[in-house]
Amino acid sequence: MKKLLAILLFLVAFASASEVFFDSRFTLWKDATILIWSLDGNSPISTNEFCLSLRRNNTGIGEPKCRELGEWERDTIATRYGSWLSNNLEKGLPSSYLRARHPGMAAKIQVLEDNIVLFLAPQGKFIQVAVFDETAQEPKAAGIVKANSDKIALGDDIAATFFDKRTKRRLTKEERLKMQTEPDDLYKEVPNLKIWAGVGVGFSQAHFPLTPDNWTSSHTKSRVKNYRATKDSVSLWNFIDDADPFLSLYAGLTWHGFIGIEFMYRYSNRNMKIDHSDTVYKELDHWDFGQHDIGLNVLLSMTYPITPWLDITPLFFLGFQYSFYVEDIELKKGVKEPSRAYKYRIKFEDLYKGALVGIGGQFVFKKHYGVDLRMGISSRGRDLYEAPSPDAGAAATTIGKSTIDCFVSLGLEYHWTL
Amino acid sequence: MTFKKSILSIGFAICMLTGCADSYHWTASHPAYHKAPYGGIAVTGIENAFVITRSNWFAKRLEISTDSIQIKGTLHCRNTFATELRKAYGNLIVIPDSANTKFPEESLKLDERIFIKGHIPEQGVAIKDTAGNVPPVVLILHEFIIGTDLKRENFFDYALIHNESGSIRKPDNVSAIFSYTLWDNLKQRPLFSAVDEIQQPITTYKLANLTNLIQIAVQKIRKNIYEGVVK
Repeated sequence: MKKLLAILLFLVAFASASEVFFDSRFTLWKDATILIWSLDGNSPISTNEFCLSLRRNNTGIGEPKCRELGEWERDTIATRYGSWLSNNLEKGLPSSYLRARHPGMAAKIQVLEDNIVLFLAPQGKFIQVAVFDETAQEPKAAGIVKANSDKIALGDDIAATFFDKRTKRRLTKEERLKMQTEPDDLYKEVPNLKIWAGVGVGFSQAHFPLTPDNWTSSHTKSRVKNYRATKDSVSLWNFIDDADPFLSLYAGLTWHGFIGIEFMYRYSNRNMKIDHSDTVYKELDHWDFGQHDIGLNVLLSMTYPITPWLDITPLFFLGFQYSFYVEDIELKKGVKEPSRAYKYRIKFEDLYKGALVGIGGQFVFKKHYGVDLRMGISSRGRDLYEAPSPDAGAAATTIGKSTIDCFVSLGLEYHWTL
Repeated sequence: MTFKKSILSIGFAICMLTGCADSYHWTASHPAYHKAPYGGIAVTGIENAFVITRSNWFAKRLEISTDSIQIKGTLHCRNTFATELRKAYGNLIVIPDSANTKFPEESLKLDERIFIKGHIPEQGVAIKDTAGNVPPVVLILHEFIIGTDLKRENFFDYALIHNESGSIRKPDNVSAIFSYTLWDNLKQRPLFSAVDEIQQPITTYKLANLTNLIQIAVQKIRKNIYEGVVK
């Protein structure tokens, strides 16, 4: 019995609740003018009291004005549409099915300017509510509230259900006129040529995130003994540090907002991975390499204006690079004659060729100031195919034939358009 | 196996994106269309909906003079249509076209490219029959085009309606293309709208074949109205 009572109470509470069928966020103006449209001219709420209800429920609404919309109540076309709307307003029906089809009715809605029409129609124990503004030929919001002979309570209920939102300042006549003739903020012609230049910092490492360690551990854990001995020499990461920050300078241009090229230069300092247990290094103060990469990328991009002050350009890039290494080695002070191993230490190739591929995005603020994020994969190596030569067997193994790493970078840019 | 499936679904998605699937929707149902009419229905539009193209071709075969093929032929179609509909819905009310044609012509969207053109009653105004009663559901027949080898996309896809078809010497089929709306007369809303197409292979063409064409059309309308119900 108690359970049944609880269910009944729940049902009663549920039935008495006001319900919003849809609300597509109409603009609620400060000092709004609310026109109350009831079909029989017998409004279930009082205009003056409703204004007070609005002020009680929404402190931002300023001084609203309310009046009955007599000109629609007396009009045949509006009355027909109103009774049709009352007949068709159902829960779950999208607002597009409630569009006013009659051109006369559509014209009436279009000339509302910044007035808000509040449609009220009694339906049994409920009052149907629909809100119109000039922007659409269908209700912007609709729902039901519980009927109440107390006009003040009913007004409060409607105000709390449909008018409890942030308000905007109403525009003056001149401002409205200006707004109508103003160009679209987001309208923009795609520039023929966009140029940018930037500086960035990044980080590159040989180990790819989310891949098993053992894929790269033979390179990353490798150590150099006796100035030249490693397990294998296929990757440069067997010799030098494989996870280092880099600095980059770059400049690029895009044609017609779609295809572009970019020149880039990167510098990073790589320490030699010497095996400290090897006593031969006692004479050594430091041994590292400056890595210089020069490259050219082809970019494919598309710019999306998000707000008037921000454009986002996702991009894809593919390019090639040349890397060369500048050795910096010094013996400790006091060591007069370096060891024999020092003299015959490892030498890298003069130049490594490689490719870059990746994705990124440019976030350009105020048309000029860009922040650039990139991630990608780069490689360094020698030509994979070399013509076989008779003394191939005697030739020294190429060091760093296949050196691959991944990188992320963050850049600050300045953009121009031509 | 799942790999194969995922490849297939990716292929399907690419196919959808590039538009290699035929994407026409020839019917549209109102979300509130829950029950097909049963037992009784009203119909309007049948006085003016029927049009016979290729008058000469039909006149020769139906043995009606070319001058009167439009009048006699369409009258035959109209009577057959009403008779056939009466067989299906015992209580059939035929409402004169003028009850509906007084409203302006509008277009009803079925699909991104498919629009029906026709007279639709005003919101808030119910259609009345000659006795002054308000039938709850009205079948509005907008157009019923009879011809040879017609394709409905050439009539209803706005991107194709300006295409001119080449003259065909020997037609393969007699075609009927018809558009209609099932109208909720109490709430004044379109419950179901459709454009249908029938192709009837030609052997020898007599009046009985034309009668048969209309019969098939009515059956198709009934089937579509029934299948269009939103469950």
